[in-house]
Amino acid sequence: MVRNNMTEPTIDIRFYLNGIAFNRNAPASWTLLRFLRDALGYTGTKCGCEVGECGACTVIVDGQPVNACLILTPQIDGANIWTIEGVAAAGANELHPIQKAFLECDAAHCGFCSPGMIMSTIALFLKNSNPDDAQIKQALAGNLCRCTGYIQIIDAVRKAASKITENDLQKFVS
Amino acid sequence: MSLPEPLIPKSLGDALKAKAGKNVVAIAGGTDILVKLHDRFDDPQPKLLILDHLKAIHKIAITKKEVTIGPLVTFSEIEKSDILKAHASQLTEAASLAGSTQIRNRATIGGNLANGSPAGDLISPLYVLGASLELSSSKSKRIVPIEEFFIGPGKTVLKSNELITAIKIPKLNNHGFFLRLATRRALAISKVSVAASLIIENKKIESIKIALGAVAPTVIRATRTEELLLGKALSPQVIADAASIIKEEARPIDDIRSNALYRKEMVGVLLKRGLEGILNG
Repeated sequence: MVRNNMTEPTIDIRFYLNGIAFNRNAPASWTLLRFLRDALGYTGTKCGCEVGECGACTVIVDGQPVNACLILTPQIDGANIWTIEGVAAAGANELHPIQKAFLECDAAHCGFCSPGMIMSTIALFLKNSNPDDAQIKQALAGNLCRCTGYIQIIDAVRKAASKITENDLQKFVS
Repeated sequence: MSLPEPLIPKSLGDALKAKAGKNVVAIAGGTDILVKLHDRFDDPQPKLLILDHLKAIHKIAITKKEVTIGPLVTFSEIEKSDILKAHASQLTEAASLAGSTQIRNRATIGGNLANGSPAGDLISPLYVLGASLELSSSKSKRIVPIEEFFIGPGKTVLKSNELITAIKIPKLNNHGFFLRLATRRALAISKVSVAASLIIENKKIESIKIALGAVAPTVIRATRTEELLLGKALSPQVIADAASIIKEEARPIDDIRSNALYRKEMVGVLLKRGLEGILNG
């Protein structure tokens, strides 16, 4: 596939990415996933199935988890987007409590699903910071993991829920 | 995927004018269309009409007689709507079971209808709720009962210059259910779904509609089963009779998701579960 082919129609879009205002000219038929990875260099959001089934590309748009592979660049005009790169506090030499819980519970084996899992976990906590196991499973049902069998991931979400404070979540909706 | 320059209307009027153009395909949540376009490199590529910014058709409204749902209302919004929970529980249930959280946050009711899949989960609830669709072009507007909208798998009566601009549901004081079977609970397309709407007075079924998804070229009504149940009081025997008749009303095929024999059997099982749920209150 031709990359950055400037004969493609483009569109000017404004959006916030991880709290930073962007004003960019984007190829209009690119997905948000491709735009993040190939134009902006934000490769933390993973490209798995590209058809909305695996959840590896989950990002938070306006407080809601969505598949970045199923949104086109014109559809994010004006949006507030958070990706895995913005989860740990900028400049701090420390991971976010959810990331720490994933490490401590061995929830990442190959790690490919982790960014999506963590974004879905943040989105869950934005609605419900004290979920039971059924609610955790439902919130992560759109994220596939082929290593862990999910046990460690659910452990990690439970552990993160016990540690998380409002301060740890606030930025994702502001 | 490389597409011609998309059209991004700021108003419904502009969107309807743009829809009259050649090879224009409307996109809302994109959860069906972008999957279809993903591996498609042939010409001509469609010009996408991006509907995201049209707030006028992205709301749920209620009047004395009916509930109106804008086509851009998402599955997540349907799932959480108190108005729809009260007047269309089948629809909120179906919306809550489809896809994943990520998909439900993007997928829209208008897209589910326009896509025309016989397995579209919001369709069978809309059949039993007696919904009608407002189809608009830049020149005219028409109302089509939902049962006349679909003509085959992926085929509807929506003209190339039209958009679905409203979904209207009459207010009914009904009991109902929506049940489905799929390979797994999340992110799987239905093998079979059954929706029903019943009005029961003095224990007798005064009115009933049953619709079946994924077991015929379009969603279908199970009219013989409805006739059997009409005027009767629900009992284990009546439910067993209905479950046996409804299997013969399904016209399923073998495909990648399931086979005809299993689908027929499961139509009966789902009806039984649903009616027992109402009987046992």
